[in-house]
Amino acid sequence: MNTLQSIVASVWDQVDMVLGWQPGYDPLHPVPAFVRDPKDIASLIWNPLCAPNLSVYLAKSFKAPTRGEKKIGILAKGCDSRSLTALIQEGLVDRNRLLIIGLPCPGTVDPDALTSVRTQSGPITDVSFADGMVQLTATDGVERVPLDQVLARRCQRCRHPHPVLYDVLLEEVVPRPVPKDPFAHVKALENQPLEARKAFWLRELERCLRCYACRNACPLCVCQDQCLAESRTPKWVTQKDTVADKFLFHMIHTLHLAGRCTECGECERVCPMKIPIGLLKEKTAHIAMDLWGYESGTDPAAQPPLLSYDASVNGL
Amino acid sequence: MAMKSASFVSSADLSGLLVRLAEKAELWVPAPEDTAPHRVTFRPFQAGMDLDGHRLPVTSPKKLLFPQGEELLRFRTGRSSSEAAMETVLLEESADPRPTIVFGCRPCDARGFVVFDRAFLQGPFVDPYYKARRDKNLVVSMVCPGPDAACFCGAVGSHPADTQGSDVQMIPVSEGYVLHALTEKGQELVRHLENAPSQAQEQEARHVWESARRSVENVVSLMDSAPHFRKRFADAAFWRLHTERCLSCGVCTFLCPTCYCFTITDETDGVQGQRLRSWDACMFHHFTQEASGHNPRPTKAERFRNRVGHKFSYFAEKHGHPACCGCGRCLRHCPVAMDIRAIVRAMGETEDVHA
Repeated sequence: MNTLQSIVASVWDQVDMVLGWQPGYDPLHPVPAFVRDPKDIASLIWNPLCAPNLSVYLAKSFKAPTRGEKKIGILAKGCDSRSLTALIQEGLVDRNRLLIIGLPCPGTVDPDALTSVRTQSGPITDVSFADGMVQLTATDGVERVPLDQVLARRCQRCRHPHPVLYDVLLEEVVPRPVPKDPFAHVKALENQPLEARKAFWLRELERCLRCYACRNACPLCVCQDQCLAESRTPKWVTQKDTVADKFLFHMIHTLHLAGRCTECGECERVCPMKIPIGLLKEKTAHIAMDLWGYESGTDPAAQPPLLSYDASVNGL
Repeated sequence: MAMKSASFVSSADLSGLLVRLAEKAELWVPAPEDTAPHRVTFRPFQAGMDLDGHRLPVTSPKKLLFPQGEELLRFRTGRSSSEAAMETVLLEESADPRPTIVFGCRPCDARGFVVFDRAFLQGPFVDPYYKARRDKNLVVSMVCPGPDAACFCGAVGSHPADTQGSDVQMIPVSEGYVLHALTEKGQELVRHLENAPSQAQEQEARHVWESARRSVENVVSLMDSAPHFRKRFADAAFWRLHTERCLSCGVCTFLCPTCYCFTITDETDGVQGQRLRSWDACMFHHFTQEASGHNPRPTKAERFRNRVGHKFSYFAEKHGHPACCGCGRCLRHCPVAMDIRAIVRAMGETEDVHA
């Protein structure tokens, strides 16, 4: 059977670089890797801790090919492949520039959830995965935790654990089954009375630091250095440390992603204050499905509904 | 350790002490979050709140002395009564800050305030807003119960029992804490507790203190990195390579107990408004954006280089220690685990010097 290394090696002559993951400062934090030297292929890893969505680097750093360049290889989980598709749909990345290595995904681990269920406290020296279990080796012993129990929220609700777009596929891992109701979290919040929902968001957004990690980690937040959050002319958002200003930024962020967001959940993963900010985007994704039967990032040829205007479309 | 005024507080009496302190000052403690008890943040103390000294807090207490958004003054424009055409601006200074106590922070967080003091109090200009807060502030730190994989206080001239920046140091012992006063302000607090530790408790405290101090003795030092930084400064390929995965967000700087860069804006609402000083981050594109449109640090490579340079070269050479307390938040909470330690170490490696 193919391994990650053998697949990357087999396509190496077609690419200038492979975007993947390699070990970080500890076993819980694999980091994005930009492999340009074939001898570094051996350092690539793929496991449920490989959380970062690598498509975030494409529109920002590698959009325009120069003459004579080969392709960019990129490892893509199901959610990542949707982000790639959306970038292609919007003309932000050239499909022909990419060599996508698809990774059927068992779901990614939320390190916070893992920390909270651990019974040991010593530094973790090794993490391995087998038979739906996470095995943690720490300085004070070994323990096993079911993967299901420590999955990130985005993965608990994932509809596309199998990549939607790829050139080669690593068939090593069995993808996670699709849940019955991917919008259960949004609905649970929506079913609460208005006052309770308001209290929920005030409490959550109060913690926001305005560090903009949610924005910078978003593959589809492509305004980047021109973001209105920092624009002084015109000025939309103040520098005030109030929940009203934080709320305004997050609402604008959400609306700019309406009908575009592919629900990869990076905004929520990277939030240092763990604000469940993905819920806002899931709501707009739900609306897009309801209103237009549209699911972003699943068809490279589809026109995103808010990037077109057709007065005859129902609901406009 | 030299003889200091000392007191013993039992674990059972701790919450009573916190309640009494909260009556005198705005008291901030590391406490578990209501909705996520395994996450600890620094927050104003409320009766019934549990202090968690064991888990590393996500946030530091920095905003107590350096608020994220601080009103410097309020203004209102209006017409002068004598000269109808003349516009007047009425200014109003902000109110004096309240006394504050940081209780139960780690030595790294207390040391963050030492960096602030150098920048805001000990240069050619004294920052009156910071000074007003600092004068009314007391820091009670606790000997660190143990580092994680992101911690590196030992590499920046400190250790888990460091007393720098603390007015009182708490040392966890069986059934409670031994408190040592380190400054006059600290004496004031400890004197009022009137419960001297037993000889056995002092002995245990000494043992806890010593073993914490020794726990980082073998860590590779990053203290003398300024020459390496100067050598690497113009090595553009080095900075591009090492910052390639950075997302250029503000997690590292906003969680950092030593990052003190700010911006000043006038936030106007109709005819009135406030002048606000708020946190800024050198990792943001607009941080060095000039009015002409030119940006001297256009990419994350220049921005990250500046962050390393400020902490380990410019500040270090001026003040004798890096602008870094080794708390590890910048890598622990980074979306892509950017490791500033690894970059500072790599600066000094002689191999792979780029053109």
